[in-house]
This record gives sequence, structure tokens and C-alpha cells, in this order.
Amino acid sequence: MLGAIARRLAASAATLIAVIILAGLLIHIVPGDPVTAMMAQSVTATPEVMAEMRRHLGLDLPVWQQVGLYLFHVVQGDLGLTIRGNEPVLTLLIQRLPNTFMLAVSGLGVALAIGLPLGFVAALNRNGLGDSVVMLIAVLGVSIPSFWLGLVLLQVFSLDLGWLPVAGSGWRNMILPALTLGVTYSALVARMTRSTVIEILGEDYVRTARARGLREWQVLSIHVLRPALINIVTVVGLVFAYLMGGQVIIENVFSWNGIGRLAIQAMLQRDYPLIQGFIIVFASSVVLVSVVLDILYRILDPRLSRP
Amino acid sequence: MYSGCHGFLLPTTVRRALARVVLAGVSSIVLGHGAARAADAPALVVARSVDADNLDPQKTANTQSLQITNLVFDTLLTMARDGSIHPGLAESWTAAPDGKSYSFILRDGLTCHDGTVFDAAAAKFSVDRAVNPETNNPNSAAWGPITATSVDHNTLTVNLSAPYAPFPAFLTSIQAAVICPSSVVGTAFKPIGTGPFKLVSWTRNDRITLEANPAYRNFNPLITNPGAPHIAKIEFAVIPEAVARMAALRSGEVQMAEPSLEETADLSKDKNFRVYASDLSGQQMVMAFTWKIKPLDNPDVRRAIGMALNRDAYRDIAFQGLVSTADCPVAPHLPATDEALCRSYGVSYDPVAAKALLAKAGYGPDKPLKVILSVHKLPGWDEMHQIMQQDLATIGVQADIETREVAAFFDHMKGENERTTGTPVVWTMGMSGVDPDYLSFLWKRPGFVNMGIGPELDGMLEDQRRLSGAARTEKIHEIDKYLLQNAYAVPLLSPGWGWLMASTTKVEGFKMGFMVSLLFNDVTVAP
Repeated sequence: MLGAIARRLAASAATLIAVIILAGLLIHIVPGDPVTAMMAQSVTATPEVMAEMRRHLGLDLPVWQQVGLYLFHVVQGDLGLTIRGNEPVLTLLIQRLPNTFMLAVSGLGVALAIGLPLGFVAALNRNGLGDSVVMLIAVLGVSIPSFWLGLVLLQVFSLDLGWLPVAGSGWRNMILPALTLGVTYSALVARMTRSTVIEILGEDYVRTARARGLREWQVLSIHVLRPALINIVTVVGLVFAYLMGGQVIIENVFSWNGIGRLAIQAMLQRDYPLIQGFIIVFASSVVLVSVVLDILYRILDPRLSRP
Repeated sequence: MYSGCHGFLLPTTVRRALARVVLAGVSSIVLGHGAARAADAPALVVARSVDADNLDPQKTANTQSLQITNLVFDTLLTMARDGSIHPGLAESWTAAPDGKSYSFILRDGLTCHDGTVFDAAAAKFSVDRAVNPETNNPNSAAWGPITATSVDHNTLTVNLSAPYAPFPAFLTSIQAAVICPSSVVGTAFKPIGTGPFKLVSWTRNDRITLEANPAYRNFNPLITNPGAPHIAKIEFAVIPEAVARMAALRSGEVQMAEPSLEETADLSKDKNFRVYASDLSGQQMVMAFTWKIKPLDNPDVRRAIGMALNRDAYRDIAFQGLVSTADCPVAPHLPATDEALCRSYGVSYDPVAAKALLAKAGYGPDKPLKVILSVHKLPGWDEMHQIMQQDLATIGVQADIETREVAAFFDHMKGENERTTGTPVVWTMGMSGVDPDYLSFLWKRPGFVNMGIGPELDGMLEDQRRLSGAARTEKIHEIDKYLLQNAYAVPLLSPGWGWLMASTTKVEGFKMGFMVSLLFNDVTVAP
């Protein structure tokens, strides 16, 4: 098992290096350069001043050289300095990572709290009223744009009822974005749980368990829930990875001071090092989650670890 | 097996590290904000859409940054509503007869936020740093051709290689903030100035907190309060979403906010809110042309396009009546700007005459003129461009709108303005400043995004920098006439971006100064 994990880690490292190189290359395809963006509000920035600024920021170097230098620094743990403000990218990201992590965990918690029971209910009432209602909710959850749901929740709970604050990064501020993210992703969890449980309920060993006279709760908890966990863990991992990198819009709507909001600002300002830093953090979280999932599979299904 | 795997997965050190990250998050969320809020509520919270990008006024050209630095730093001179120049940190100033030297006598008893003395030597430090190429100051060219600075007692002398008439006006601008030497330690910068507010903290993309400078002495004629600001503290919160910003304002979570254009109309009708529209923005929106490409090389064609533009509709519909039509290539209220004179030089809305001019140039229903309307995205501007497209269609000009994000747009226009063949481009832009000299940065070759015109205009733009008083005013009018009669520029509206603020009625005394600076010295907040 350790050998398999070592191979998986090596593959992950290679993936991350590829991501760093791709991020460095792709970012230069976007039209508009950061100095022009910085000077967009200043007609007094002469071409000479802008050229000097490009030279100072190293943006006058060929793209391959910029990417090569970037890779060289990143592997040493240096993500560079932001173009705007000249601050260390790594520090800015680390400062906001706890906020994003907390929101991702909360969002995931809400998604599981809603999605898992609904998925089970739907599967156990397959083609019945409960199933239809749950699937309707799931379709709505997937279809409703999260930013719209966020704005509606803001309107209702912050403005109309005055229960929760509109903006900020305190614990009360976390409730609405976590709810928004949770509702959105609960649909995915519910659908995945439903299909997994339905599939398992049709397995021979479940029929055998029932034939042996086990009570229904015993069948469900021992013979259905545990195998279902493998698929559910996959969804949980994917949802968590999406939440770590994909809550950009929600962080913006709720003015939550996480890395997503930082990324939006960096994109608007063409702050290349910060965008690259965000891509690396996002990619790292996906890779990390995938490694953890791999290991969890082996724990949940020991057959995978057999030679 | 399970325990073994757990041991491998989460060894003690990793578990501790993870615990630290989680605890740090929890404590920063639960204790950080919560405790700070409860212990010390701010006197005024202002919600803005974006954060400052830098609080070093000599390293940024960003309005949102300069709005903050303008509260922390003062300027050597100040400007009144009528564009006249007044003392600031300098109690008086003189220009040498040849216009190549300025002397500023600094006031006595000025102190920086950290208690250090602000004198002529400190002012020299600031000016030297502003124009030092190592600083990478995006506004360094606006400081003029400074060759040397010197100090004699409390007098700062600035020498220039050539006369630079806009110099005193520039020294009143938010770009000309004067920093205290203690702001700079090696390569690090800490905003320490003489301004009405001191920086307390800045959490990037989240919040900037300032507190009143109790020792403040005001010299700005736009401000009534002679001493320290009435409010003890200001927090600038970043709330990117316009809807959330308005929700925060309406719920009382913030007392001031940048409203969206759509919300402003509603707020202005609501007796619980006040809306502020800057009339001293120095912002001017113009239409320009890729005049090197036929048939836009023909002034009559450019005039015809200008005559098709129903600016009243742009003002009333696209901008909800919150801007004004403006007739000069520079903004109203700036020195030497004479709107009536500009009106006599430029074109006015007349679609019938526009069609006739186009017909004379060989264009009509059988041979429509096709152009690209190249623009960048901004609230109000998008609607304006749609109406503009209809206006142009009315006179038989087919305009395809190409919209780009701002940085990509200006990059694109650099190339378009150099083009001499292909589809002609009609484009819109805005600029701001405190002196008509910004015409030089725009139109003197190569000019802003290569929009320079030619030697005749270059000569006039150079001349206005050498002249002063009535002679300079006359020269600027000549430049206006040249640009408008040749229809190189068609003035549209003023202002046009970031010029709106809204507050609850609890806030009184808020003002907006030149270049949409935010003035809080006179502000009081009712409980």
C-alpha cells in the first residue's frame, strides 16, 4: 500500500509541475498587459514610464523566460510578489486560506446534511412521491445559479429580516455563504447518493442479507451504507475541491475575505503572480483531495490494496 | 489496518499543523473581527466596490488608492472650486520669471502622524522620491521636467529644465501627495503623512481603517473645518457586489456606499438617503477616431458622426441624468475651460445636417459607411454605446460595437490608432485631471495609446506649458478650437466613472473634491 501511495504522490507532484508551467503559459494568452491595466486610469503615464515599469516587473522578458523563472522560484516555495502592492503572494494566500477552508468545510457540511438524507430517502422510495420531490429539489439546486441564490438570501436574511450581516468575515457572516454553497452542492450529493444506494440495493448480497432475515435497518447500515460510502466519499472529495477553488463568486457576493475574492481582484487587475498563485493553490487542493480519496478508497475497500 | 493507516495518513506533526491552521482560522474569524467590532465601533463605515491597490501615492495611478492616500497625505498647494490655486503645506510660492524655477515656503509647526517634523527638507525628500526613476511613479511625468531640488531654511526650490505652467495646479492634485520621510524605510513603505487621517490598518481586499489626526490643520478651501476631522474613525469596507453594497447601506451596516448607477436613481428619491455626484471630478468623456484610416481622415465625416450623437439622451437615459453634457475636450470647472466657447467650435446634434455631410463625402443609403465602435465596459457607458449605435444608424452609419475589458481595450487601441487601412474605428474614452495640460498627455505625439495628431498641435501643446495667465488660457482655447473644429475629438459627457456616493441621512458634511477625492473633514454622523 505504501508503494502505491508513493507512486500516487510522485504522479501528483508531476501534475502540479505541469499545472505551474501551464498556468505560466496560459496567463499570457489573455489580452491586455498588467501595466496597461494599472495605468488605465492615468493618461499621464507616458510610454517611457510604462516601459520602465514593464522592465521593473520583468514583463519585458520573453514568455518562456518568465515561465522558467517562475517555475524555478515556485519549486523553492517562492510564489513571487504581487504586481499591485509588491506583497508576497504566498503570504497573501496563506492569510486568506483559513477563511476559504472554513467556508469550504461549512459549505460541505451543509451539502452533506441536506444531500445525504435526501439521497437515501429518494433511493428507498424509488419512483415514489418522496423520490420525485427529492429529485425536483435536486434539479432546482443544480439549476439555480449560486450567486442568485446568494443575493436572494442576502435580501431576505440581511435586509428584510435583519438577522445576519451583509458583508465581512466574522462567524455570523459565514452562515449565508455556507448555506448558499451547501444548497447548491447538496443537489449533487443527493443525486449521487440516490443512484449509488439504488445500485447497491439491487446487489445479490443485499438480497441475500434480506433472505437471511436481517432487519431492514441492519441491511441498510451494514450492507448498503458501507459500500455506498466509497462513491459518496468521491463526491465529498470532489465537492470539497470545488469549494476550495470554486467559491470565487460566492466569496465576492458575500464579501468573504478568502482566496477566491483575492483571485477575482487579481484577475481584474491582471496581477499575474497572484493569479498564478491562486491556480497553484486550487490545483494543489484538487490534487491533495484526489490523493486523500485514493487512500480512503483503499481503507474502505481493502480489495484495492491487495497485490 | 485502520489504525495503521490513520497513523500513516495523519502523523502527529501533520495533525498538529492541521490543527494550527484550523485554529488560526477559527480564532481569526471568531476573535479577530468579533472582538474588534464589539470593543471599538467605527464612527463611519464606507463601502466601496474595490480596494486600494497601493497606499504609496507615488506608486499608484489608481483612483481608489489615491482616494485613501489623499486622506493620509496633504499637498503643497490646494485648489478652490473655481480652479484658483491656494496655499497648502506651503504657505506661499513664487515662480521665477523664466518659469523654470518655483520656490515654496513651508508652514511652521507642521508635524507628521508619527510626530516627526514636516519641513522643507521633508518636502524635498518627497518630491525627489516622486520623480526618481527608481520609484517607478506612474505619475512622474505629470511632475514636469524637474532637474533639481534644494532647501534653504524653510524654503523648497524646485528647478525645471523647461517652463511647466501646469506645475502649481498639479501640486494640488491627489497624485501630488507629499509623504513624510519616515514613510520610507529601505524598500518598505508605511503611509505616514500630515493629512487629516492616520492609517490604522489595512487588510487587503477587505478593510482599511483610518483614525482622525488630532493635530490636523486644514488648508484646503473646499473644506470648512479648520482642525481635526469631527469623526474619530473611518473604515473603508470592500463589498464588490453592488447589490450587497446597497443592502449594507439600507440595513445600516454601513453609513456610506458607492451606489450602482441603477440604485442611485432610487436612492435619490428616498428621503432616508443622500446621493452625491462629484461636480469637480475633472473627468471628461470624448469620442475619438482612427483618423488615419479613410474616410475618417475627412473632417466632414468625423463632424457628421459627431452631429449624429444625441448627448442629451446619453445623459438622461444611459446615465439617469446624473452627469452633464460637456462641450470642451477637457472637463468643466478646470482652469481655462470655457464651455460656451467650445460649443461655438464644436458640432451639435443635427442628424439632418449629418446626413448631408455624409452624402457630400459619398455615403448614403446605397453606400453606407461601416465603422467599428470600439469601447470598454463601464456602467452607463454600455447603454450609451447602444444608443450611439442607433444614432449612427439614423444617419446611415453601420457601427459594429466591439466591447473589451479596459486593459485589453487600451492595448487594442494602441494598434488601431496606428492603422492606416481597414475598417475605420470610432471609439470612446475618458480622462481626468486638475489642469487642461492633460491634453498634452493625450494628444501630443505619440500620445495616449498613440492618439497624437501632428506637429501643429504638438507645438500648441508645448506652448501652453511655457505660458501663464491669460496667454496660457488663450493658447488652451486655441487647442480646444483645433481639436473641435477638426473634429478630432467630440466631447460627450462629464463626469463618467466612480463619481457617485450615497449615504444615510445620518451623515452630514460629506464632499467630493477634485478627481473624485473624498473629503471627510466636515463629516458628522448622527447617532
